[in-house]
Amino acid sequence: MKAFDNYNPITIFIYFASVITIGMFCLNPVTMNPLILFLSLSGALTTYIIRNRMSGVKSHFFFLGMFILLAVINPLFNHNGVTVLLIINNNPITLEALLYGTASAAAIISVIYWFRSFSQIMTSDKLLYILGNISPKFALILSMTLRYVPLFENQTQKVIQAQRGLGLYSDTDFMSRVRGGTRVFSVMVTWALENGVVTSDSMTARGYGITKRTFFSIFKFRKKDIAVTVASLILFAIILTGVISGAINFRFYPEISHAQTTAVSVITYIAYGLLTFLPAAIETEEEIKWKYLKSKI
Amino acid sequence: MEILKIENLTFSYPLCEEKAIESISFSVDRGDFVTVCGPTGCGKSTLMRLLKKELIPLGEMSGKVYYKGRDVQTLSEKETACSIGFVAQRPEEQIVTDKVWHELAFGLENMGMPQDVIRRRVSEMTCYFGIEDWFEKSVAELSGGQKQLLNLASVMVMQPDILILDEPTAQLDPIAASDFISTLSKLNRDLSLTVIITEHRLEEIIPVSNKLFAMESGKMLKYGETRETVKALRNNAVFMQGMPAAVRIFSSFDLSLPCPLTAREGREFIEKNFDNRVSELETPLSNTEKKDAVLEFSDVYFKYSKEMPDVLRGLDFKVYKGEIFCILGGNGSGKSTCLSVAAGLRRQYSGTVRVLGKKIKDYKKNELYRGCISLLPQDVQTVFLKNTVKEELEDVVSKDHTLPYDLSELNDRHPYDISGGQQQLLALAKVLSSAPQILLLDEPTKGLDAYAKKEIGVILQKLAQTGLTVVCVTHDVEFAAEWADRCAMFFRGEITSCGIPSEFFAGNNFYTTAVNRMTSNYYKNITTVSDAVKIMRLNMNGGAE
Amino acid sequence: MITIKNASVRNALRIIIPFALIPAIIIMGVYVFKENSYMFISVGVIILSLILFISGFEKKKTGTRRLIIVAVMTALSVVGRFIPVFKPVTALTVITAVYIGGEAGFLVGTMSALISNFWFGQGPWTPFQMFAWGMIGLVGGLLSKYLKKSKAALITYGVAAGIVYSFIMDFWAIIWNNEIISIEAYLASLLTAIPYTVIYAISNMLFFALLAKPFGEKLERVKLKYGV
Ligand SMILES: Nc1ncnc2c1ncn2[C@@H]1O[C@H](COP(=O)(O)OP(=O)(O)OP(=O)(O)O)[C@@H](O)[C@H]1O
Ligand SMILES: Nc1ncnc2c1ncn2[C@@H]1O[C@H](COP(=O)(O)OP(=O)(O)OP(=O)(O)O)[C@@H](O)[C@H]1O
Ligand SMILES: [Mg+2]
Ligand SMILES: [Mg+2]
Repeated sequence: MKAFDNYNPITIFIYFASVITIGMFCLNPVTMNPLILFLSLSGALTTYIIRNRMSGVKSHFFFLGMFILLAVINPLFNHNGVTVLLIINNNPITLEALLYGTASAAAIISVIYWFRSFSQIMTSDKLLYILGNISPKFALILSMTLRYVPLFENQTQKVIQAQRGLGLYSDTDFMSRVRGGTRVFSVMVTWALENGVVTSDSMTARGYGITKRTFFSIFKFRKKDIAVTVASLILFAIILTGVISGAINFRFYPEISHAQTTAVSVITYIAYGLLTFLPAAIETEEEIKWKYLKSKI
Repeated sequence: MEILKIENLTFSYPLCEEKAIESISFSVDRGDFVTVCGPTGCGKSTLMRLLKKELIPLGEMSGKVYYKGRDVQTLSEKETACSIGFVAQRPEEQIVTDKVWHELAFGLENMGMPQDVIRRRVSEMTCYFGIEDWFEKSVAELSGGQKQLLNLASVMVMQPDILILDEPTAQLDPIAASDFISTLSKLNRDLSLTVIITEHRLEEIIPVSNKLFAMESGKMLKYGETRETVKALRNNAVFMQGMPAAVRIFSSFDLSLPCPLTAREGREFIEKNFDNRVSELETPLSNTEKKDAVLEFSDVYFKYSKEMPDVLRGLDFKVYKGEIFCILGGNGSGKSTCLSVAAGLRRQYSGTVRVLGKKIKDYKKNELYRGCISLLPQDVQTVFLKNTVKEELEDVVSKDHTLPYDLSELNDRHPYDISGGQQQLLALAKVLSSAPQILLLDEPTKGLDAYAKKEIGVILQKLAQTGLTVVCVTHDVEFAAEWADRCAMFFRGEITSCGIPSEFFAGNNFYTTAVNRMTSNYYKNITTVSDAVKIMRLNMNGGAE
Repeated sequence: MITIKNASVRNALRIIIPFALIPAIIIMGVYVFKENSYMFISVGVIILSLILFISGFEKKKTGTRRLIIVAVMTALSVVGRFIPVFKPVTALTVITAVYIGGEAGFLVGTMSALISNFWFGQGPWTPFQMFAWGMIGLVGGLLSKYLKKSKAALITYGVAAGIVYSFIMDFWAIIWNNEIISIEAYLASLLTAIPYTVIYAISNMLFFALLAKPFGEKLERVKLKYGV
């Protein structure tokens, strides 16, 4: 199920902007609150896994390794903290440093996972739609470039083949490869520029630049988009105030210390929990709805 | 009602003394379907561009173009952009954006139209051209035919009343081409859209066009109602070669009858004027003495990547020394791929390819290309490296080696500044210059006029007689029928039928020459005009006269 | 929709934003908002960069040909980023800047970063790359007079640009690992990055040495033939 993908790009963008902003906001020595980090990480993982199920399991292991590495490196190089666990050639390894490392690792990994989901959902045409609302012209250039990239790769291959077919291209040794490469590249440039001009002709022929462009898109802004947008913004505001007010402050150095739990902090936690699990909720809701409909039939 | 009027139009490109267009005057009525024909480099594309204000190339231009009685120069940008649509030769280059739906909307976006208007018009066009099922695809995934159709559609959303097309079908296979043309004539009938089109393959286009414009070296030769023009050109050798088969056959008998244009009229013409006692020419029995195979595919499988489907599926054929072997087949059937495998540019994952009896993978680096095998790619622009034609030729041509034809008048032009056909010839020159034993040509005749085609045919035949082997992929059945020793039909990655042209084409119903389609009811195995004429002469004396 | 009406204001912005505001933001981010500098910087930078595009670009009537050239160059540099050793982005950005103008250079730089990350993965590093390459292009445009004249100058600038780029990215790397900014840490990371920096500089040098001239010719030809 990919229910969340079908929301309006602006909605999706706002959601990710808020969740990632918070995630990174907490990525600093003062507000690195374990609970927040936990929520962020679990939310990120759930969102990613719900979307991709079992595909790309290997990558998870890679990031697990990265997590451990980040966690362990900190105590090795960073020796402040009071509770000493052990001493490696008269450098103290402290509990605080270890925990801090773990926490920051969690923070980084979660941000990475948020971005992984984001890159998957926010496909180029959605990004275009967003930009199209700010600057149609910039969006147009972006769109043109996105069309050119696969075209040029294809053409580069063709040129190499053609030159080889004439016996003009060889990649036996390094120098000849460089020579061949530059040759091909310069052909590509000529070709790209000349064809570019033809394209520009076809743009002018269809009246580009006569009046101010509008930007057409096949995305609509429906009720549920508004709902999600508003929800994410409100939650974001709540959390931000919570964070700035210092209600969830959490320090590792010199020794672990944190602001004691208050109504504000609890609300902040809940709000953040809701925010991070929003996509997961949407997906499951859709799932259930389908099951229900099936049972009706 | 007169919609377009041209008054002694003259144009010359910068740094070129001779004029590309010289004092041309003519006028087009609403709902006309005008076909512009003429030899390669005669200025068709240039003329087409001059008709559309936005596309006029840099250079000296004099004369006037009137649209609905008003000078085009005085019209508002918006008016000209909307009311005159333009589709050019290469489908690839005209596409601007990365998604089909965005491309369709592009023109309307430029006009600053509101969302809902755009949505309505786009959806309408999508239905009319039947492109719903690839509406949300990205253009990189489309086939050549689809791309060209997209170009047409994205021009039509602007609701023009004149449509100008410059060799729109040059890259398409015969079936796709005739589909495209019938779409055009449908538009012309439904919306009484005025169409002005340049073409080299007149077989399909003449029957649907009501006006014909013949030009030669930048000047207007004849313009008028199709039949009139055709009749007027009857004794002009250059143009006759480009004409539909019916006309060519007819014009080689001097009968005082109305000239047939379509295949149907051609049949009637044969029906009426010839009795068909002799139904077969005694074919010169194809020299059957076994020659040695120089190129040999045995059970070759190829795919571009693991997850993609096979492109070559157990391909299996032999090409013998000194023959011209033509491969025909639809867009995307794998012809180019086959050639690149034959040239050792791509490796099959199973099966073997032998060149001159030696396994292709046993050749050392580039040994294969030193006077052994040489490939003319489909996209000829990929072989140009230098800034002038002269340098291009010097780059490869050894001093003693002489070209079979002459390009010297183009010497100091940039390879991109010469006409499509001329580029084709230049590229061929580069390929020939390495004096290979096996010559692989990927659509060498696209964008060439009939005359230049004949030139190339003659050249190839000469080379073949000197023992060079030619493997030629082409969409041009007429060319294949005329010049090939053997033809092969390519379908979904394998060769489904193969044989000497007369029998090969006689076997097909659609994928065959117009002559064959026209004569098949009366005579057996007639595929070329010359054969048709020969056999009809035999049937004559008992006939009409 | 954000657009700056007054032309002079726009021009002012175009100078101020890159040279005053963006660095200012970074300094502030680092020393004032120690706490959450990184986020502050990247967000600030990307927003301002966007304003730059919009003010400089949306309102101005850019010729179609210019537009195309920017798209083409960007695409070329994106395609180039797939080549293992050579990373022609800097080179192409600079060349565009020199022959077509600073703004075009800026666009090519920023868009190359943005678009190639569709393949390499978007991340918090995106705005940094956009900024780094954008600036390289813009400055190149300002220096175009001299860079056009002598190939040596061009190569020097290319190498310098390469170095500056990796400096900026190192800078980003340490805030990303949220150490409190300290000169030592920065120098350390610079030291560790030296081999990459060197490779990068050399590949740039090669690229300019080999491609600068033909590129220039081609661009000039297009300018001449089609009047860009
Ligand atoms: N950009 C250019 N600069 C200079 N000369 C040109 C340019 N384009 C075309 N020519 C010349 O003008 C003449 C007409 O070219 P044009 O492309 O109109 O021929 P064409 O009839 O379209 O040929 P084809 O049938 O092969 O397309 C040719 O001699 C060609 O060499
Ligand atoms: N570089 C490539 N990568 C992946 N697939 C490709 C590539 N080139 C061609 N194909 C696919 O292989 C198939 C055969 O392509 P090919 O170009 O050989 O067809 P063709 O017979 O030459 O078509 P045409 O008559 O249009 O030239 C097509 O489906 C095409 O999509
Ligand atoms: Mg032409
Ligand atoms: Mg092909």
